[in-house]
Amino acid sequence: MLPDLPHLALAGFQATALLAAAPLVSGFARVMRAKMHNRQGPGLLQDYRDIVKLMQRQEVWPPDSGWVFKAMPMLVMAVLLVIATGTPIFTLAPPIHVMGDLVLSIYLYALARFFLSLSGIDSGSSFAGIGASRELTVGVLVEPTMLLSLFVAALLAGSTDEGAIATAIANGHMQSAGAAVLAGLAFAFGVYVELGKLPYDMAEAEQELQEGPLTEYSGPSLALLKWALALKQTLVVGWFVGLFLPFGASADLSIDGVFNGALAFALKALVIFAIVGVLSNAVARVRFRFTPRHSWAGVGVASLAFVFYLVGV
Amino acid sequence: MLSFALVNTLAGFLIVTSQSVILAKTSKSAAKFYSLQSLLLVLIFLVLARLQGAHELYLWSATAFVTKVVLLPLVMLKFFGKLVDPNLEAESILPPAASVALSAAVVILCFVVVLGVSLPGSADIKPALAISLAHFFLGLVCIVTQRNILKQVFGYCLMENGSHLTLALLAPNAPELVEVGIATDAIFAVVVMGVLGTQIFRQLNTLDARALTTLKG
Repeated sequence: MLPDLPHLALAGFQATALLAAAPLVSGFARVMRAKMHNRQGPGLLQDYRDIVKLMQRQEVWPPDSGWVFKAMPMLVMAVLLVIATGTPIFTLAPPIHVMGDLVLSIYLYALARFFLSLSGIDSGSSFAGIGASRELTVGVLVEPTMLLSLFVAALLAGSTDEGAIATAIANGHMQSAGAAVLAGLAFAFGVYVELGKLPYDMAEAEQELQEGPLTEYSGPSLALLKWALALKQTLVVGWFVGLFLPFGASADLSIDGVFNGALAFALKALVIFAIVGVLSNAVARVRFRFTPRHSWAGVGVASLAFVFYLVGV
Repeated sequence: MLSFALVNTLAGFLIVTSQSVILAKTSKSAAKFYSLQSLLLVLIFLVLARLQGAHELYLWSATAFVTKVVLLPLVMLKFFGKLVDPNLEAESILPPAASVALSAAVVILCFVVVLGVSLPGSADIKPALAISLAHFFLGLVCIVTQRNILKQVFGYCLMENGSHLTLALLAPNAPELVEVGIATDAIFAVVVMGVLGTQIFRQLNTLDARALTTLKG
């Protein structure tokens, strides 16, 4: 079933708006970090300037790199834009219906991560390769939590369609509120790890092992990747807000409704990123080999949510 | 707004708070989580009283508020605040994830058991009954898996909260005297155990249950 014109327009608007706002999100994180360090720091728009600057630089490829390395920035950006057209963020229903499926969303994120890691190995740098394996390890650790919590939400709503879940939560039509809240908490933990913030990860530290796949990139590719990572942070927060806090999202496709939905999302995202900023700057990094302890606790909470669904509380 | 679903949901969060009590790093924060849990219990009593027209439950909730939300945590903070054993690095023999998974398994098990029980009132509160039973066993789990003897006192309190909820669900019209008996029972037990804990800490300078195998003093 092909989407009609209003839905296509909404999808285009949502993807463009999120793409345009993404550097603002990462810039806000930098401002928060600087304020919490008691230093002046960059302005809110610094990441736009960084991207423009990098876009004008020369592109340098490592001699051993193949096509995966060259295509990865565009592939990751494209995958994220596809996700941006499918996640119900401004509206309760996904803009393009076939894209708004839980399983599809989870594996589109996995696809982006797969190419990111593959390019680290493809670059020929051993440092980037180790970083890539770490990236994948974090992904594997957080995936069970996200899958299980989303499946609980899907069971509660009776559908894996993200629009159905958002509508059920927005209208309070959940059979068991306890399971929904616990699933939301577990999913929030998964989203936090996906954000790539301390204590688990540092998305902006491409000089470090943790963000190794970015080490060998330069110029426009690096600009595109930085932009894509900021977009990913915006999207996963949009995913969480769209599914578990859909209050204020538009129920129809009217222009007023969509703009109000966008405004509501901006407010919710601001609050969430402020909390994330405080949290990520107030903790020390967890040693990499201890990350599984935390992620398994997340799986435990998600399984408790599943049990709550079964029992009916 | 008020429905049996609300009772079930509140009961569900009893499990969450009891996990917080078990996993809390210090006795002080465990006492605060215990207070929060008792507040949830009082809310359950109030909703049940309203739904079932059981006037005894209003009295129950009032006494439970005074004893469990205010008095018991205060006693715990007073007794346990000073007792800190720096050598006891691993509080539990179970990692947090296993503890949470175990509680999930216990809830499922209790639900299967409760399915065969017929309730005097509404059948809608069966999940809550399962939770109350599971809560009792979680207290037992806390006593068995925790090495800190103060945490084992919290395990006793969790068991007591579970049985309190079971009583409220099965016998909402039980006389007030029964309830007062239970609540004061808990206070005296905690005071006695607090005194014992203080004595043990003074004599042996440890809170580790494994270290308490020799007679001393």
